[in-house]
Amino acid sequence: MNRRRFLLSSAGASAAALGGPWIGAAGAATDEDIAFANFGVSAEFLLKDFYAKALAGKQFRGPRANALRQGRTAATKHARALSTLLVSFGDTPPVEQDFEFAWPRRTFSSAQTTVKTGLVVLRALLGSYQWAAASASVVGYRILFASLGASTAQQLGALSALSGQTSARSFPVAMDVETASAAIEAYLG
Amino acid sequence: MRTRVAALLVIAVLAASSLASSAGARRQADPLTIYAAASLTEVFSSFDRAQRYSFAGSNALETQIRNGAPADIFASAAPLNTQRLFQSRMVERPVTFTANRLVLIVPRSNPAGIRSVYDLRRKPVKLVIAGAAVPVGAYTRTVLRKLGLSSVLSKVVSQESDVKAVSGKVAFGQADAGFVYATDARPVREQVSVIRIPAWAQPRIRYEIAVVSRSSRKAAARAWIKRILSPGGQRALRNAGFLPIPKATR
Repeated sequence: MNRRRFLLSSAGASAAALGGPWIGAAGAATDEDIAFANFGVSAEFLLKDFYAKALAGKQFRGPRANALRQGRTAATKHARALSTLLVSFGDTPPVEQDFEFAWPRRTFSSAQTTVKTGLVVLRALLGSYQWAAASASVVGYRILFASLGASTAQQLGALSALSGQTSARSFPVAMDVETASAAIEAYLG
Repeated sequence: MRTRVAALLVIAVLAASSLASSAGARRQADPLTIYAAASLTEVFSSFDRAQRYSFAGSNALETQIRNGAPADIFASAAPLNTQRLFQSRMVERPVTFTANRLVLIVPRSNPAGIRSVYDLRRKPVKLVIAGAAVPVGAYTRTVLRKLGLSSVLSKVVSQESDVKAVSGKVAFGQADAGFVYATDARPVREQVSVIRIPAWAQPRIRYEIAVVSRSSRKAAARAWIKRILSPGGQRALRNAGFLPIPKATR
């Protein structure tokens, strides 16, 4: 592939990641693509539930609560994008009603415990997106996972700022599905 | 003469009604014939010992009902089987009455050293699963696909006709691992260890129940289904390890 064709296909894949055209590559999905997408949808639902409960916990008000609202919106959009991807693979994506999320007691009783738990979920999700971005079989999928990872990293920064800490890491840890799953399995119920 | 005729008529009516009521009483006492998924064996048998059961893979039971088997009720481990019969008007509208989860079981001695479902990919194992047409077999394939482990299907040494055959083979050490419903691991818990499957990879396992259209005892069959949907029936299912009726289908 020459440079011009590569750039064109990258641009196409980029547009795909924004609007859904990664579906154009349907049929090429590997076992691993499917696993990352399934795990991603489920973890995004978990994250959405986390943000909803964190808002209901009223530990954060005003502009600080906005970070949680934005996170909730992002999680909803991410889950939708990954569900669309799974449908394009011919799979039935999970839905929120499939889960009975199980947060440890007192998770949302203080700002500190809320942030601490949220960071566990975000790190697992970010790690899985990093791995998926490197291993996905099709450029379009890789770009989608990279975008999801970038958004998740932004949320990680915003959430850790709420507790007055900085979570900046030079090299966030990439995780295969097995490792990322083990990190949040207890919350997924 | 008129009086004699009237008396005879009264006797005839009384005799007929007595015959009818004794037939009714017999029908009342007769057990219903319930065709149910193999995974319901323990819970249905203990919930109501008075009925006549036939337990097998839901796909096999579906075929039998299609071929005219004399069932009053069909309880399936997958909506697919009941819905197909409903489309053919062979059962009344099915309802969801419980749910389940899939687990991996290994013999207590665990000769293959399996600690997680991912070990199936890493280690040489003799895996036993149910056939693709059996609900538990279809769910197993869904789980493996979701986990990105479809490649372990190459390690399958035997495909069984129902879930009890899978749990039996693992319990007797004839296989290193097998996928069964969580409720089927319970009866063999002395012989096997249970390995959880991540919640995000679980398939949607829904059980449906319906009155068979050819049943001559539809009222009794409907009443029995009401019992299994009642708090008492649901308690019996939960005590056996089944999950409540999922929110999405309530």
